[in-house]
Amino acid sequence: MSLVNFAAREITCKLVYYGPGRSGKTSNLQYIHGRVPEARRGRMVSLATESDRTLFFDFLPLELGTISGFTTRFQLYTVPGQVYYNATRRLVLQGADGVVFVADSQARRFDDNLESFQNLQENLLEQGIDVRSLPTVLQYNKQDLPAELVLTPADLEDALNFRSVPSFSADALHGSGVFETLKALSALVLKRLAAGNSGESV
Amino acid sequence: MRAIEPWVEGPLTTFLTESSARLVLLMTSAGQVIAQHGFTRSLDVMAAAALGAGIVASTGELAKLLGPSPFGALVHQGTNQAVFLAPFTTPRGRWIGLVVYGKETSLGLIQLFFNRMVEDLSQSAPVEHARRAVLAENFEHELNASLRALFGR
Repeated sequence: MSLVNFAAREITCKLVYYGPGRSGKTSNLQYIHGRVPEARRGRMVSLATESDRTLFFDFLPLELGTISGFTTRFQLYTVPGQVYYNATRRLVLQGADGVVFVADSQARRFDDNLESFQNLQENLLEQGIDVRSLPTVLQYNKQDLPAELVLTPADLEDALNFRSVPSFSADALHGSGVFETLKALSALVLKRLAAGNSGESV
Repeated sequence: MRAIEPWVEGPLTTFLTESSARLVLLMTSAGQVIAQHGFTRSLDVMAAAALGAGIVASTGELAKLLGPSPFGALVHQGTNQAVFLAPFTTPRGRWIGLVVYGKETSLGLIQLFFNRMVEDLSQSAPVEHARRAVLAENFEHELNASLRALFGR
């Protein structure tokens, strides 16, 4: 839930990057971390295994600037994608204002995408959140791989985007689609806040 | 000290004075910062809050697995300073306190005055809380400009 501080005129929103293991969630944050001026971002915290797989979460705080007179900050989190770590995924998802689902476009990962997307809905429901009410954006990552290895965005739309939420093709390693994805989710989250459907005022 | 509502400042100031803690951070269970004392950079505060909330959430789940009683406070004892981390309930929901303290005080004093602060916060919290409009309808052009500036494009 967004935290709105009227006294200091600040808004803080929590955005979570979700998806199967090795789909590129951490790569999204690493690219953002590398592109954003140091003054506008905090340290990227990664709780990872020795083999650089996300164990608990990655965390990157961003300061967007002033929007409608409010200093607006986003806290970007990733979840561990591996099936084994569902308990920690649930914890990271708590209080999320919006979700980017990062799908791996490789054809051989099709079932993993479906399983992870189903898992997202289950974990949200467990917290009493209907996925239809939560700002969500889909990202079809790794579209830069050879065409014979990946599904097209249209194929992935058919499989995953039955709610017709904003979706973007991406190559998170090199940054293609990363900015667009974050921009779309930011707009959805702030629109929801503006409509008064979210946010804890203090 | 930086607190987001005046009613948090009193109990927090009392706690700081009595306990001699070095750093204090109050956050929601989702890791959103409510108040802090001693941190110098707001973005570092957010990272500390995210990590503190993560520790409390994971040990809470561990407690559920291991037995019927939830864990209380957690203490990480270092050479020169220690970290005290404890969840508590307020009229505004479940919050977490993260306290860093040194040899000038003790765990017993931190625990004692922390519990008092929790009571003070419960008594100080305003009962009614009206929802207010947050963003103007035309915020999107400002959002786009901010994101363009952020990414340099």
